Amino acid sequence: MRILFMLTALLAFALPAQAKLFTSIEERSDAITAELQGNNNYHANLARELASIASEEKGQHDLGAARVFIKMAEEEAAKAGGAK
Amino acid sequence: MIKHIVIAAAAALSLSACAPYMNLGSSELDNARKAVADAKAAGAEKCAPKLQAEAVASLYWAAHEVTERGVHPDENAELIATAIAKANAARAKAIKGCTPEIIKLEGVYFDNDSAKLRPASVATLDKAVATLNRRATIKVEVAAHTDSSGSDAYNLSLSERRAASVRDYLVAHGIDAARLTSKGYGETQPIASNATKEGRAKNRRVELRVMN
Repeated sequence: MRILFMLTALLAFALPAQAKLFTSIEERSDAITAELQGNNNYHANLARELASIASEEKGQHDLGAARVFIKMAEEEAAKAGGAK
Repeated sequence: MIKHIVIAAAAALSLSACAPYMNLGSSELDNARKAVADAKAAGAEKCAPKLQAEAVASLYWAAHEVTERGVHPDENAELIATAIAKANAARAKAIKGCTPEIIKLEGVYFDNDSAKLRPASVATLDKAVATLNRRATIKVEVAAHTDSSGSDAYNLSLSERRAASVRDYLVAHGIDAARLTSKGYGETQPIASNATKEGRAKNRRVELRVMN
């Protein structure tokens, strides 16, 4: 029984943290912008565009879509190689 | 009972993580997908990175909007049109001719008529070292340019020595020499007018050209 409670607690706290649910879309978007400063390759441009869409979607109260787009933006930012 | 609750909670969490927020396969996006694919095949990611990124982002956004069928029909039509227009522009640019990605090194200074780097250049060059370490797969040409003061031959020779000097710095700070070439362009590729002091200062420059 105790193990079940521990597993539940683990799921409840670890999953959102892993999915960066405790960090706001704006903070993640700002981090991408800062990380890619001066980088103008394709992946950097796409990361910025996707982060911007995430913010738009959040503004339209579609948090689910905003999370999907910001995650895609972070993946592109990782491919972009960071700031110059 | 608790076991069932835990299983149900885990299933709900997993499903919510995979919610269908995007339908890239929608037939409404056929033309946009084709335009983006054609641009990519023409080399747009490298030759027109901003336009191609805007096209792809519009396509993804439209792919999201089609999942909200009928909610924003005008907005979606506009996104699809944007994706196609941007992709076509990116493709045209790529076909016309590809210029390499340029990493500007603003703040590289040399002694007058010399290839000796001034200490003030260190911060910029160290940033370049960090960039090359971060983007470990790129190969670059160190390209040096002069203004039009002096003879063509002299300027070409000076720019070659300056490019080599920057390359040497990068190699001395750990960048694999096999990733670096150097070339002097003299005064052949101005980016501003040589008639003004400001223009000449802009033309005297060193940049890294990404070659792959």
